[in-house]
Amino acid sequence: MSIQWLLDRMGQWRAEPAIARGKRLTTYGELVDRVEEWRARLDAQGLRRGQVVALRGDYTAPAVALLLALIDRGAIVVPLTEAAETQREEFLAIAEVEVEISFDTADAWTWDARPVAAANPLTQQLRAEGEPGLVLFSSGSTGKSKAALHNFTRLLDKFKVERQRMVTLTFLLLDHIGGINTLFYTLSNGGTVVSVTTRNPDVVCEAIARNRAEMLPTSPTFLNLLLISEAYKHHDLSSLKLITYGTEVMPESTLQRVAELFPGVKLQQTYGLSELGILRSKSRDNKSLWVKVGGEGFETKVVDGLLWVRAHSAMLGYLNAPSPFDAEGWMNTGDMVEVDGEYLRILGRKSEIINVGGQKVYPAEVESVLLQMPNVRDAVVIGEKNPITGQVVTARVNVFEPEDPAEFKKRLRAFCRDKLATYKIPAKIEISGQEQFNARFKRMRKAEPVG
Amino acid sequence: MTSTPNLENSLSRAAVVDLVIAGVNEALAMAENPPDPASLTEATRLIGESAVLDSLGLVTAVLEIEQRLADQHDVVLVLADERAMSQKHSPFRSVGALADYVLKLAAEQGAHA
Repeated sequence: MSIQWLLDRMGQWRAEPAIARGKRLTTYGELVDRVEEWRARLDAQGLRRGQVVALRGDYTAPAVALLLALIDRGAIVVPLTEAAETQREEFLAIAEVEVEISFDTADAWTWDARPVAAANPLTQQLRAEGEPGLVLFSSGSTGKSKAALHNFTRLLDKFKVERQRMVTLTFLLLDHIGGINTLFYTLSNGGTVVSVTTRNPDVVCEAIARNRAEMLPTSPTFLNLLLISEAYKHHDLSSLKLITYGTEVMPESTLQRVAELFPGVKLQQTYGLSELGILRSKSRDNKSLWVKVGGEGFETKVVDGLLWVRAHSAMLGYLNAPSPFDAEGWMNTGDMVEVDGEYLRILGRKSEIINVGGQKVYPAEVESVLLQMPNVRDAVVIGEKNPITGQVVTARVNVFEPEDPAEFKKRLRAFCRDKLATYKIPAKIEISGQEQFNARFKRMRKAEPVG
Repeated sequence: MTSTPNLENSLSRAAVVDLVIAGVNEALAMAENPPDPASLTEATRLIGESAVLDSLGLVTAVLEIEQRLADQHDVVLVLADERAMSQKHSPFRSVGALADYVLKLAAEQGAHA
C-alpha cells in the first residue's frame, strides 16, 4: 500500500543488481521475491498493522527485504545495529518493541515476541492513522538518547521523484536517518546498494573498487581516517563520482585535502536530523563549506544565528521527551550557522560552543587547524570550566609517533599562533591514547576524558 | 586520595618559584612582545595593573603550573577554583604569592593524605 509504488518500480529492474555484499549479489528480482516471502511470513506469524517491530540487521538482502515488507504491512519499525548494541535493552524499552526480529551474520533470523503492549500516545496516534512507522534514536553524544517516531509513508514521499541512479556504498548505518535516506534513494532509482560488514578505510575502499561504486555518503571523521590510512593508494577509486559528508561539522582542512586528493569527485555536504529527515543540499563548490539546504517539503529560517527547520517529513514527536516543535511546526536544530545570501555555513552545535571570557569558540574551527599539524592524526576540542575565563579551550590530540608532551604543547601553540585568535588557542593540551570517535565515525566531544 | 609523602623535602619554595616562573614563561611565549624570560622574579605581577599576563595568559600559566606540579612532583592540585578566586588577597597577584599558595595547598593535601 504505502510502499507499493516502490515495489512496482523495483519490479521493472528485475535483472539488475540491487545489493552487493562481499561477493554476494542480489538482483532487484530476487529482492522483490524476498519481500513477497517476508510478507507471507509476517501474515503467517499473525503480525498486525501498527505493531512495533525491532529489526536487528545490516544492509543484507534478507534484512532489507524484511524492512520493505514491514513497511508494506504497516508495522512500526525500530532498526537496530551493532553500533547501538550496548543500548539495545534501553531502546527496546523506550520504543515498546513488541516483536524483535534478529539476523545473525549467516543471515539466519530469529523471531522474538516480547510480552509488551505498546501504549505510547504517539504510537497509538500513528496506529489510528493506519500508517507504517519508523523509530530512530538520536545519537545522543551528550545526554540521553531520544526516540523519534516517524510516519514512514511521509518520510518516503520524496523518493517518488526520480533521480540519478547510483552505485552507492551504504556507509551510514540502517538505524540512522542518513542510512535510511541512502538506502531508499538508491532503491527508488534502481541503483546498487554496496554493503560492507565493517567500515575501516581499507574495507570501504576495497568495496568501492570491486563494485565500481559511484557514491560514498560518509562523515568527516571517516574522510580524515581515509586520508591518514592512505587506503586510497591501494585501491582503484576511479569510479567515485560523489562523496557526501554530514553528521558533524567538516573541518575545513580535511575538506581541502579530500578535494585535492579526488579532483574528479564532487564533494557535497548533506544536512539532516533524525527528527526531520535529510534536506536537499548543494555545496557552493568542492572546497566550500557554504551550502544551500532546503528542497521540496523543507523550509528553513535563521533566528539569532540558530537554524530552524520545518519539514513535511518531520517526526510525529519523541516517544520519551517533549515535542521540540513550536506551534507552527518549526524546530530549532541547535546548530549555529552563518548566512551568506542563500548559503549557510554550519559552525557547530550551540551546546558545544566554548565561551572563553565572553568570546565564542567553535570546536570545529580549532580542530581544523590542529589537523594540519605534523604528527597529528586526530583532534577533538572541548570546553572545560575555568573560574578565570568561564571556560577554557581543551584539545585532546592523537599523534602518529609518540612525542614529549611538553614539547608537543609548545609546538602546538606555536603552530596555532598565526592561524587562530589567542582566545581560540587551546590552553589545555592532552595527548590521547584512545580513538576519539564513536561507532558511527563521529567525533565525541565529551567533557570527561575518554577512558 | 593520592599520598604525597615528604612534601617539604620534594617541594622547596625555591623549586616552586622556579616552576611558577617556568609556567608563566610558557604562557608568555604566546604573547605579542613577551618580556625577557630572565626578567621574571617573585615580585612579577600576574594580574592587575602592570601585570605581564592577560586573563587568557593567566589561564594558560595556571594550567601549565598544575601540569608541571603533576608531572615533575606528583602533586595534583587545582589552583584555579572558586576558593582561589574568593581569597581576600588573590593568589594570582604575583609569582611569589602563587608559589606560596601552591605550597599551602600542597601542605593541606599532604596533611590529609
